[in-house]
Formats: sequence, structure tokens, C-alpha cells
Amino acid sequence: MSTNIITIGREPGSGGRLIAARLSEKLGYKVYDKNLLNIASRESGLNREFFEKFDEKASFSIFGSWFGMQDNVTDDMYSGYYLSNETFFRIQSDVIRKIAEQESAIFLGRCADYVLNDHPGLMSVFVTAYLPDRIKRMSEYMDINENKAREWVARSDKKRRSYYNYFSNKEWGHASSYNLCINTSEFGIEKSAELIYQLAVDRFGLK
Amino acid sequence: MSNNSSPVELGTKNIWPLLIQYAVPSVIAMTSTSLYNITGSIFIGKGVGALAIAGLAVTFPLMNLGAAFGSLVGVGASTLMSLRLGQKDYDSANSILGNVFVLNLIIGIAYTVAILLFMNPILHFFGASDASLPYARDYMVIISLGNIFTHMFLGLNALLRATGKPKISMLTTICSVIINIGLTALFIFVFKWGIKGAALATVISQILMLIWQIAIFSDKREFIHLKRDTFRLKKKIVETSLVIGLSPFLMNAAASLVVIFVNRQLAVNGGDMAIGAYGIINRFVMLFAMIVMGLNQGMQPIVGYNYGAGNIGRVKSAFGRTLLLAFCVLALGYIIGKAFPRQIAELFTNDEELIGLASSGLLIVLTFFPLISIQMVVSNLFQSIGKSGPAIFLSLTRQVLFLLPLMIILPNIYGVNGVWFSMRTADLLSFSVALTFLIIQFRKSKKYN
Repeated sequence: MSTNIITIGREPGSGGRLIAARLSEKLGYKVYDKNLLNIASRESGLNREFFEKFDEKASFSIFGSWFGMQDNVTDDMYSGYYLSNETFFRIQSDVIRKIAEQESAIFLGRCADYVLNDHPGLMSVFVTAYLPDRIKRMSEYMDINENKAREWVARSDKKRRSYYNYFSNKEWGHASSYNLCINTSEFGIEKSAELIYQLAVDRFGLK
Repeated sequence: MSNNSSPVELGTKNIWPLLIQYAVPSVIAMTSTSLYNITGSIFIGKGVGALAIAGLAVTFPLMNLGAAFGSLVGVGASTLMSLRLGQKDYDSANSILGNVFVLNLIIGIAYTVAILLFMNPILHFFGASDASLPYARDYMVIISLGNIFTHMFLGLNALLRATGKPKISMLTTICSVIINIGLTALFIFVFKWGIKGAALATVISQILMLIWQIAIFSDKREFIHLKRDTFRLKKKIVETSLVIGLSPFLMNAAASLVVIFVNRQLAVNGGDMAIGAYGIINRFVMLFAMIVMGLNQGMQPIVGYNYGAGNIGRVKSAFGRTLLLAFCVLALGYIIGKAFPRQIAELFTNDEELIGLASSGLLIVLTFFPLISIQMVVSNLFQSIGKSGPAIFLSLTRQVLFLLPLMIILPNIYGVNGVWFSMRTADLLSFSVALTFLIIQFRKSKKYN
């Protein structure tokens, strides 16, 4: 069965999650974001807390890398430093591919656009917005003051960028990395979601 | 990429067979190089002389520093490589291969030029005397000219493993060791080329294996092969590789610096023969330490997975069994060393002074040898469960944190014996710290259960 996949990369506070929810209503596809961690934990037998710690925050483990220097002679992914971010990413990617094989779905973040690079029915989107709008949205959403929200946004930006740039061969937020980039400050969440929906209907041949 | 073992297996299979399955290849790889180092030193000691042993020992840290530069590129690149291959991203993987090739070439050449330019001052600084310098120099000139090939060989070997050819990678290591030993014997005993012959044998054996590696990586039917358009350095690959490689590089470099310091103290307090004695003792001790490192590598995935899955019972069992094996290996080294110190030294040299110094030093250095197993395996336990802080601290205790200050003080009081005393005291201290860490961790895990 061929499945249709929309991946949504997003700057924190840009409204990417809201767009994913709107698309999910319109298309009837399930949204996968943090719930991937539960599945990854179930599939691998590793506790969820490890995936939590890793989720979209980590790049390579600085100290973990020192273990790589010891000659590892077996090739399978489970040898060597097991509880590494690289292992978690690999398990998570396997879960993403498995889901994409079975059902049409929307993936939020987690380098899904890179992981599913070879998927025939893939549409990758990146959602951005101007910084003040993002800060405002986050401070309302998280119920914190603007300064705190500003710090949070800056920190998350940095984490997501290093995560994406390390685990994929592409650059986070660069137009060349995606099929479509859209700014919600300019077009609004509703219009953006509608546009992506129209493009998806066209691309996937839905009617 | 074949994933022979499944996480299920790590979580259910009997610990002993699991440990053996993972540890045996690592132990073989670790000991093969160590065995070459021993036979190489024996040939040099017997075929060239006692001063040559001292000259060779002076070059150890320089060789290790070379390996450290190799890991600067190799570790990061192979991490990236296996990450990209895990996503079947063959284009990126090919770029990494090409970039590693070029980077190793650049760093290899730079290192060689730097060493050749400052050879004499470096070797003097590292503890060479006017008498041992010619030997160290003869050896190092050839080794550093071959350094480019060594870099390429080690770098490509790491990538062979990352590209799913661990058996070939192991084979190239073992073959290079066998060829090296054969050629060293031929060059020293038949052609009488002296210490130069040993260096030449090392370089030739690595060039031969490098040719084999390049042949493998040039096969266009393989997903990963050398392509001309991948040689252009990419900022992202270079940057990430170097950043990842930085901490293993620093660890290696720190260890080399301490050895330089040890050699200098030996040079000041005991002269060439003392350095030679350290060379012999080090070769002997390293053989057993390497086996334990191999065991440690076998333990890592088992402990790591089960800790992640919350099977603390299996973590303890894998840890306990590794510790038992490690203790037995080091105890064996202890018994052999304590029973036959003279015979061991006589393997390497006919020089009475050197035999005396090496055997008396060995007796002191081995005092707490079996206990090091605890420091090594506990440090590895923390690595495996992702607690990098304690892991790094513990692995630095024995050879840097405790050894360095002791090495500054004790030789001033006891002379050459002070160096050996420092080593054994550092062993005892690092053992105590590791044991304390273990007990604290054990109590913590009890509280949670």
C-alpha cells in the first residue's frame, strides 16, 4: 500500500503544531510527535525516560564520543556505547519508517523529512514565523513572561538546529532542505494550513 | 549493514555466551597490536641492543600522539559515517569517506613535517640521551615518513568497521601485525638493518594493508567507494568530525604527556637504562591491560541495553562477570610477573643492568596490579550506563590525576624507584576511588528498587 506522508519541521512558537493538527482534521491522518517516544520505547524495550532526555535536544554525546576511540570490532548498532544519542535516533528512525510504511501520517520534527527521504509519497514542510510572534505564542502557551519565553525560544532554536544538522545531512530551516517553507506571521495559521492542504491534495492525488 | 544481534537478545540471552560473543573480537583486536609491540621490542632488544630499547621507549609518546591525531579525524568520521549509513544515505557517506581520506592526508603530512623539522629537540625533551638519541632518531625518521600511511590505514580501518565490514577490518589489523613481525625479524636478524629495519617493517606492513583497503574502497559495486568529486572538503563534515574527535584526542594526548613526563623523570634519575626498563615493563603490563579493555568493550552493549531496559539484575550480572574475568587476567599477569621477573626481562635484552632494573621495577609496579581491574571495569560500567562524568574522572585517575603529582614528588626522594612507587601508589589510590564510586552507585540503585 502506498502511503502519503507530510513532515513538518518548525521553529519553536511558529505554530507548526497547530498546522499539523489542522491538517490532521482535514486529511484524517494521525500526527506523530512526542508519542513516537512511547512507540520507540515499546519497540526497543528501553525506558521512555532515555528517549525523553534525547528528544530533539541532543546532538552527539561529547563524552560518549570518547568511547568510540576504543576500537569497536563488531558492526551492529548495539555494540559499543549503547545508550548513545545515535542509538536513540536510529531506533526512533526505524519507528518512523515502520509507521510510514503502514499508514498515511503527519510527522512533527525529529528529522522525519530526512529519515523518509526515499519515501515516494513525501511532502516536507518547514514552518517559520517572526521572532516576536513566536515569543508571544510561547509565552501564552507556556504561561510564562516574555523574557522567559524569549530565552526558551532561543534555547530551543539552538537545540533543534544542532539536532537536525547533526542527524541529517541538511541544514535546519534552509529552504533547500524542504519542499515548502511558509511563514505563519505573514499568512496566519489557518491560511497556511489550507495552502498546505491544497498542495497535499494535489500532490497525493486526493479528491 | 547487518544487525546480527537484536536488543531482545541483549535482554534475554544468557550472560556468559553473550559476553563471550561480544568480547572475543575486541580482545583479539586489542591483543594483536600489543603482541606486535612485544615481539618488536624483543627483536630490537636482542638484535640491536639495550640502548635501542631505551631509544624505542622514548618514541612511545610520540607514536601515541600520532595515534591521537588519527583519532581526531577517525572517531568523528566513523560516528558520522555509521549515522548516515543507518539512514541508507550513501551520498553523504561517500562524501565522508572522501573527506576522511583528504583530512588524514593533510594531518598526516603536517605531523610528519613538524616532527622531522624538530626531531632532535623533541626527542631530547622526551628523555633521549646523546647515546640513545641516534636509535630514537633512526626509528622515528622512518616512522614519521610513513606516518601518512599509518594515518590513512587507521582512518580507513575505522571506516571499514562503520561500513559493515568489521571482519575485514579485523583481518587487516591481524595481517599487518603478522607481516610486521615477519619483516621485523627478517630486517633485523637477516639483513642487519638495526632499529631502522623495525621501523621499515612497520611502515611496509601498513602500506600493504592500506593498498588492500583502497582496493576495497575503490570497488564501484560497493555502496561506499572513493569518488573523485568527494575529495573536496565539506565544512559540515570536517567541523562535526573534529568536534566529535576532540575529546578522544585530548584523552590520548593527556596520556601521552604523562608518559613523556615519566620518561623525563627516568632520564634524570636513572638514565637510558631506566627508560629502557620502563619500556619493557610497559610492554608486559599493556598486554594484560589490553585484554581487559577488550573485555570491557564486550560488556558495554550488554550493560548499556539492560540498564536502559531497567534490568538491573542483568546489569549487575554482566558487570560482575566482566570484573571476575578482568581480575583473573590481571592476576595471571601478576603471578607470571612476580614469579619470573628476570626471565621476562631476559626475553627483551642480554644487558645485565637493564635486566636488573626492569625486573626490580616490574616487581614494584605489579604490587596492586590485579586491583586495577576494578578501576578499569567500574570506569567502563559508568561509560556503559551513560554517566560520562564519573567515567572520565575514573579513567583519568590512574594514569593522569594521581600519577602526575606522585611522579613530581616521589622520584626526588627515591630516585628511579620513586617512579615505580608512584605507579603502584596511583594504582592503589585509583582502585580506592573506583571502589568508593561503585559502592555509592550500588547504594543508589538499591534505593530506587
